[in-house]
Amino acid sequence: MPQLTYLEAIRQGIWEEMERDPTVFCLGEDIGIYGGAFKITDGFIDRFGAERVLDTPIAESAIVGAAFGASLTGMRPVAEFQFMDFIGCAFNQISNVVAKAHYLWGAPAPLVLRGPSGGYVHGGPFHSQNPEMWFVHNPGLKVVCPATPYDAKGLIKASIRDNNPVIFFEHKYLYRRIKEEVPEGDYVVPIGKARVAREGTHLSVITYAALVHSALEAADLLAKEGIDLEVLDLRTVAPLDRAAIVQTVKKTNKVIVLHEHARTGGLAGEIAAIINEEAFDDLDGPIVRIAGLDSAVPFSPPQEKFYLPKVSDIVQEARKLKAY
Amino acid sequence: MQKRPESQSKPQLKSTTPSNGSQPSSVPSRAQQERTYALPDYRQEVSEITVRQVRKGEEVRYEVSGDLHAPVPPLRDSKYLSQQQCIAIYRFMVMNRKMETALEHLYKQGKVVGGVYFGLGQEACSCASAYALAKDDWFAPMIRNQGSLLVRGFRARDTMMQYMAKAGSPTKGRDGTSHFGDLYERNMVAPISMLGDLIPVLSGVALGARLQGRDIAVMTYIGDGGQSTGVTYEGINFASVQNLGLVLFIESNMWAYSTPSEMQYRNKDLAERAIGYGIPGVIVDGTDACQVYDAAHEAVERAHRGEGPTLIEAKMMRMKGHAIHDGANYVPHALFEYWKKRDPIARMENYLLHTRKWLTLEENKALLEEVEREIEVEREIAVNSPMPQPESALGGVYCEEGCHTIRPKYGVPKVRKGTGAFRQTEAAVHLK
Repeated sequence: MPQLTYLEAIRQGIWEEMERDPTVFCLGEDIGIYGGAFKITDGFIDRFGAERVLDTPIAESAIVGAAFGASLTGMRPVAEFQFMDFIGCAFNQISNVVAKAHYLWGAPAPLVLRGPSGGYVHGGPFHSQNPEMWFVHNPGLKVVCPATPYDAKGLIKASIRDNNPVIFFEHKYLYRRIKEEVPEGDYVVPIGKARVAREGTHLSVITYAALVHSALEAADLLAKEGIDLEVLDLRTVAPLDRAAIVQTVKKTNKVIVLHEHARTGGLAGEIAAIINEEAFDDLDGPIVRIAGLDSAVPFSPPQEKFYLPKVSDIVQEARKLKAY
Repeated sequence: MQKRPESQSKPQLKSTTPSNGSQPSSVPSRAQQERTYALPDYRQEVSEITVRQVRKGEEVRYEVSGDLHAPVPPLRDSKYLSQQQCIAIYRFMVMNRKMETALEHLYKQGKVVGGVYFGLGQEACSCASAYALAKDDWFAPMIRNQGSLLVRGFRARDTMMQYMAKAGSPTKGRDGTSHFGDLYERNMVAPISMLGDLIPVLSGVALGARLQGRDIAVMTYIGDGGQSTGVTYEGINFASVQNLGLVLFIESNMWAYSTPSEMQYRNKDLAERAIGYGIPGVIVDGTDACQVYDAAHEAVERAHRGEGPTLIEAKMMRMKGHAIHDGANYVPHALFEYWKKRDPIARMENYLLHTRKWLTLEENKALLEEVEREIEVEREIAVNSPMPQPESALGGVYCEEGCHTIRPKYGVPKVRKGTGAFRQTEAAVHLK
């Protein structure tokens, strides 16, 4: 099995879907001859033609609107945001047109909105955001955040085949930093299913995307101290895999929820509420949140490092929680 | 106001000679530099009425200026419509108005949930535009285009049940007004309350169809107020760049809620915006169904030929408030008087009965009675249909397994593939 980076895995997934299904096409800024800012669609235009690898004006609302319109005719558009930070420009299209279409008038919208998100690359406040919570709070959307090359390929294929609008957050820190064996050819990873990234007994870290790797690193360090961490990789943040969340709480009885985006109104609050509703009696300690600060993501490396959750934060909080 | 000859107005923009008078050899000749834009104007009259805010003592009010006593011109004979088609459009316009009158009564009887929105004075624009579409074309109405829905084959009961939030409404109670759609029979995208968002969506519908090998027309509407939004620009520009068959009606009805068009844009005519997009722009009298149809028909034909989008500005006035709660007291009374004389249905009726003599008084009476009876039947059905069960609020957020089959509407796209196989990219990393 070939070793693929996270970025190559996504590329391969989209490529295979375009080979398999003539209704799949890509649109976005600079995705054609240039191949996209991160080269996800590099070489696609030569293979699939300018009709199916469509360069658009710099107009995010038009990109989403056009993707939605095309999906109404039975196409499966894959729209790229050059950075997920720019998804805010298309917010009304996503929130009021796309997300509500099936509930209000029975219109399925099989489209994917994908692009790079996340920090740790000194991208500054407009190239480092994790805006997934804007959409988790929008019923009708699926929100997918893969952490590994295997999942990235399986989930992008599942997203393209899904009959619902899927927002696919790629973590740009992971693009070329991680590699693993990824099977060539067809497989999908189901949307809405979490994965236990590491079995453990003492406490659970619930997280997703780049921070899965931070949690695993922390687990290795803590193992030397006799603290056995379980790491739950959510993979999909809407809809959440409530069963998997409850299961890990019932197993370890102590929970850290870890995410990059701002703490207030973040996913950790929602997960804490789910645990409260479904596994309160199983808790042996307070639910701990480790999250980004309630500010924009600052640019300068020392500031960004301070803003974002670190391995040392996880180690420190795990020690405290273990001792509780 | 002035009468315009058949040749229509043609605004010309000429580039100026450099101020120093020099003509470097590389600069194109004067003739090449000259830019001429044509904006076909189908109107039989061009009113120069303006509205502005003025202080009168302690109050600031709208004041109207211009010739408000001009005679009403005749309708322009359509280049395309037959007698039968003219009567069909007239019938839809009558039904549009009678349906809205019935809704007004239902509102007063307390049977409507929320407000009622009217297209009074705009029936020609709604009905004659949609009448130009072919079966495979798509459209999306705005709130005042309830007549377009009738033309495209919806029943009056559909809209009435939407207003009464009934279980049997197209959205099963989940949304009101003209906010519903149909992907299969009538090819309609459901509008939302935010303005301009339908324009890129309809452009995308045309893109989807083109990928499936079909050039279709996609028609939608925006007001002189709604066109101020950014997404309007994005949508028209996208259709322009991609040469998609968008037929966009800008309904210049003078008032965006309570704000006059003078406070929405600076251009003389919104059709001028077409020049900026590099697409054809047309001006029509929105109270003349024949003009509206002809412009729509030509735009639809262009779309079917794959020649791209058209922007049509239809001039008229919204003859009621924004919605039923709004008495429109801010509109100078003289304006209502002026436009009342230009009532689209009265003009069409007069045209059919007296100018063309295509309808006799008796036939017209029978037509009006028949529509009245139909609306009464529709009203009865709508009123007597049940309200939704509370728990029917549940479900349908996602398209679940087996709920819809997604398939290309116009046929599987024919793909042409290059020979290149998948290869790994060696690209530079954007951020390290």
